[in-house]
Amino acid sequence: MPGVSLQQINKQFGNDTAVSPTDLEFNDGELTALLGPSGCGKTTLIRMIAGLETPSGGRILLDGQNITDQPAHIRRFGMVFQSFALFPHLTVTDNVGYSLKINGVGKEQREQRAQELLDLVQMPQFGKRRIGELSGGQRQRVAIARALAQQPSIFLLDEPMSALDAKLREEMQVELRLLQQRLGITTIVVTHDQREAMTMADRIVVMKKGQVEQVGTPDEIYNNPASLFVASFIGKANFINGIIRRGTVIVGNNELATADKPGFIDGSSVTLFSRPERCRIVDNTGENTMRGEVTYVRNVGSLFEYHLTTDIGPLIIEKPNLQGNSPITKGQQILVQLPADSIKTFPALAA
Amino acid sequence: MTTTVGVESSTTPPPGLAPPQRRLPLANTIFCVVVVSFCIIPFLLVIAISFGEKIEGAAWRWSFDHSNYLRFFVGADWPDTRTTLYIRRLWFSFYYAIIASVLAVATAFPFAYVMSRQSRRSQTLWLVFLLSAVSLSEVFVVMGWDILLSNRSGLPMVFKETGLTDWLKTSGWFEVLREWGLANPRNVRFKPTDFATIVTMSYLVWPYAVILLYPALARIDNSMLEAARTMGAPPLTVLRTVVLPSVRLPVIGTTLILFVFLLGSYVAITVFAHPSRQTLAVSVYDSVRGATMNAPFGAAQAIVLLITAVLVLLIVWMIGRRTEALQ
Repeated sequence: MPGVSLQQINKQFGNDTAVSPTDLEFNDGELTALLGPSGCGKTTLIRMIAGLETPSGGRILLDGQNITDQPAHIRRFGMVFQSFALFPHLTVTDNVGYSLKINGVGKEQREQRAQELLDLVQMPQFGKRRIGELSGGQRQRVAIARALAQQPSIFLLDEPMSALDAKLREEMQVELRLLQQRLGITTIVVTHDQREAMTMADRIVVMKKGQVEQVGTPDEIYNNPASLFVASFIGKANFINGIIRRGTVIVGNNELATADKPGFIDGSSVTLFSRPERCRIVDNTGENTMRGEVTYVRNVGSLFEYHLTTDIGPLIIEKPNLQGNSPITKGQQILVQLPADSIKTFPALAA
Repeated sequence: MTTTVGVESSTTPPPGLAPPQRRLPLANTIFCVVVVSFCIIPFLLVIAISFGEKIEGAAWRWSFDHSNYLRFFVGADWPDTRTTLYIRRLWFSFYYAIIASVLAVATAFPFAYVMSRQSRRSQTLWLVFLLSAVSLSEVFVVMGWDILLSNRSGLPMVFKETGLTDWLKTSGWFEVLREWGLANPRNVRFKPTDFATIVTMSYLVWPYAVILLYPALARIDNSMLEAARTMGAPPLTVLRTVVLPSVRLPVIGTTLILFVFLLGSYVAITVFAHPSRQTLAVSVYDSVRGATMNAPFGAAQAIVLLITAVLVLLIVWMIGRRTEALQ
């Protein structure tokens, strides 16, 4: 399975820059998620890879070969669209076999291949159905089967889950990931849902305003966000504003120790970042501990979310639901610790 | 998934609730009165008149006389002589209307398709432009084409003055045009020809063709076309395998509407068609209002035209159902 690399690829729409010059590698057999808020250029990027959008500059290489000027129908990267884009005038089998039909594959072989693919997406008995008779999840499976029928070198999915409801979405994320691993096909998924990206991807490319903010594994992105934007976009986090003084961070009357020691000069404003699940509830005061009052307890089922008011501002902490009820109630005073190794320091955003 | 649930719950009304009244009784009554007085009664009158009897030198009187129909199919002097004049006119009605409506749809389709892929703004501008073109009356349009195609001042003159006629003569195309009836020994000519008749009729309904095709084409999901491209379909294959099949019914429907509309063409036929190749619509008018003042015979012709048109529509509808079932 070949990989794709983008070299200085960019796209302008009139005076608007959709994608700034970008270098990216999509490795063999990996699933990469392009993640970002709407309008960040992720869809433009995947459409340029598919050949549906002409880059304003830069090159696209497939396995070292320049394919920048190849039209979409020569590249033939299978693509699953947000709306699934199935053909309502054809049956499920004919939809799946479409790419084979227009490329001159005989009827018998076509139907056999379509059946194999429908088996693969667990819809073996649906071949004769019309698209209008399928549910959202079934349509998505057909769209996946159809895109895979031509055995594409690259498999592209543009917001594939956004038309599905929450429960089905999570099931399909796992299923799609397992299918991709089984086939070992180089896959690029566009999504604005950080959970979806975390669930499926080998690597995540976080984008903002047409630029790549960070590229990394889900672990790296989650634990070591490269910027405040990435930190706030992926998962939940506490952000605390402070000022650097002699290697520690002063927040109000508190002094917080941090494990990372970037070279901030004394007096610079910083924003601290800490994941809610890394904060601890402790019995005794110590490093980075502070008093807090519980203002709200949110029961998410598998865990409890405590909203606190502390000396350093509002904090959210998360604890797994181990006993079935919350050991802490609203209004209670507790001691919280932000372990030094759980805190990352970023330069504060200009106000 | 949510949508399915929504549909299910909306189709089963909650128990204990009567289904809502569908129409107000008053609205129903008004509807019936309108249909009866404006559609059914005039139609029955035309049928009754078609069996009336013409009185020479005067009007006509009520009767039950089927000689009008006999005259239509075999001529007034039958069985001594037999004429197919009116059947020929019926045939020309269909001939012009079918070719002109197919031509209009075939040329409007690519235009409407390209238009539907443009920006919202340019789509709106085109639609406004086309709607204003619709407001031109048939007489006005035919007058324009009459000038454009007239032998003294229109295109033939341009052909002659620019030397195109001479070029046609030397290249041998002139003989071909003569065989097609589009040239006299001296120059090209368009009046009176089937060509001019059909082009003008197509032109008359062309804006309607675009306006009728446009909604269906605009509804085609762009990502469906893009999906086909990513599966290896070059642009023409996309058109053939995705666009055309998804608008098959609107295309057939549009052609039929224009066909029925063109069956009644009058002005274009009288101006451009050769007198021996004129249609039933002209002949009906001549009978009812023209020199002969024979309303019963005009009514009989109209009825035959109507029944034949209905038969054609039925046949097309049945073919459509057959192909639908085969798919």
